[in-house]
Amino acid sequence: MSSDIVIEGLGKAYAPRGGRRPAVIFDGLDMRVEAGQLVALVGPSGCGKSTLLNLIAGLDAPDAGAIRFDGRARDSRLAMVFQQPRLVDWLTAEENIALAFEREGSRPRGDAREMVRALLRKVGLVDHAGAYPQFLSGGQRQRVAIARAFAVDPDILLLDEPFSALDELTARRLRLLLQSLWGEADGPRPTGVLVTHNMLEAALLADRIFVLNGHPGRFAAVMDIDLPHPRDPEDPALFAIHRQVLHALGEA
Amino acid sequence: MSMEVSSGGLAPPGAAEAPRAVPSRAGTLSHPANWRRAASHVASVVAPVALPLLLLGLVASAWEAMAVALHSPLVPHLPEIGKELARIFRGGHFFGEMAVTLLRVGAGFTIAFAVAVAAGIAMGRQKTVAHFLEPAIIVGLTVPGLVWALLCVIWFGIGLTGAAVAVALSIAPALLLNILQGVRAVDAELLEVAAMLRLPLRKRLACLWLPSLMPALLGGARLGLSLAWKVVVLVELFGLSSGIGYQLNSEFGAQNVAGVIAWTLGFAAVMGVLEYGVLAQLEHHLMRWRRTAQV
Repeated sequence: MSSDIVIEGLGKAYAPRGGRRPAVIFDGLDMRVEAGQLVALVGPSGCGKSTLLNLIAGLDAPDAGAIRFDGRARDSRLAMVFQQPRLVDWLTAEENIALAFEREGSRPRGDAREMVRALLRKVGLVDHAGAYPQFLSGGQRQRVAIARAFAVDPDILLLDEPFSALDELTARRLRLLLQSLWGEADGPRPTGVLVTHNMLEAALLADRIFVLNGHPGRFAAVMDIDLPHPRDPEDPALFAIHRQVLHALGEA
Repeated sequence: MSMEVSSGGLAPPGAAEAPRAVPSRAGTLSHPANWRRAASHVASVVAPVALPLLLLGLVASAWEAMAVALHSPLVPHLPEIGKELARIFRGGHFFGEMAVTLLRVGAGFTIAFAVAVAAGIAMGRQKTVAHFLEPAIIVGLTVPGLVWALLCVIWFGIGLTGAAVAVALSIAPALLLNILQGVRAVDAELLEVAAMLRLPLRKRLACLWLPSLMPALLGGARLGLSLAWKVVVLVELFGLSSGIGYQLNSEFGAQNVAGVIAWTLGFAAVMGVLEYGVLAQLEHHLMRWRRTAQV
């Protein structure tokens, strides 16, 4: 069951360091993400994209305002994919994914081992189930991280520049993998927030793009992307959206 | 394969082609690259055993040379030391005393380790606890083991308790410092992942904290054991009538230099077995996930 994400009057500032004035990141930001939608947050670096994601994830607390998950049922299950894979080095790929089943108060949903195998198959790593992360390539590690996020069976999936540390070819493959995982999700799709500075990535994956800019951060534009899924990364329509986003940021 | 490539790269042009022209010879030992690979394989198996033995042999020869040159009862010849070794090992005498000493070290070490892990995690997570306990570490590190040994003999008399407490007090500060640094080095990003996955405390301790602390715990165990031995011998020397320290003292009283050396050698051998046989194997097993650099 996926949840709406509702953000109202969000305020966040960081205490000054080294004698500077306190940095106000957000002052009264409102945002709403419909259940089951994947939205992209784009904007220049330092505009607060990752801060907003950490606030939604509960890894940081807002100074003002509220973030609610208006789910139709139970408390929301939340998963996150970070820019770095953040795998546990002393657990194998398989064990890293299985960690998601250890969630507090969760009841086992069938055969955990078989579910991990199925996820490994989906991300194409079934032959590396027993490998430790340090013996995997960067792209393979990020595949494991994506599988771990889906293993949570999330209502809300947060993606913090998940492909930006990879080479372009690997990033392209993983974007398509994410698109197909999103499409194949059994049951309702999770509500997703993707932070990226790659506008083409946003155009490929998102249903809606929020363009964040300025200090404190404001939405310079919100665009609905009405192209049907799955999308082709070479679709000229994506490049048109890319130009629109640049325009909204005042760069074109 | 890498050997072959690199040797081909260094050899003059043409030389590299020669072996490739005769593929049937590639599998035999006469092939230079294979020969070198086999040699390096043999070296990698033999070296870990042979090199420490070489060092021991050199030290023993130097000692014997010194004994011959000085011709003094203070520097006994190797055969005399050997005779003493045979004497203390006869009838399991040595192992009985060693077991007594190891029990004392083990008891003290266990207490210190448990306290240091608990205090280390608390100090690493809570600044107030850290401020509160920091002076204790600093004072603890500066008090000589000799003082703890004397005080514990006075306070607890002769028995296991005194020895164990003296060992625990002497090694806890160093252990704690080591573990505290380990706690501070735990990856904050992984703790965020644990929060994201809502892992229960039990799982977080078993899957994140303990493995993260493992290098610090192993390093601390090594350091602690080496310090513990130095203190337990003092306790045994002052207040007890058994153990390696007591035996060392009685050989000293009898002015038997070869005896002192023999007991020390026997003890060092047991410690070597503990280090290479137990701790090193444990570390190798626990750290198997770590990729080591090939350069």
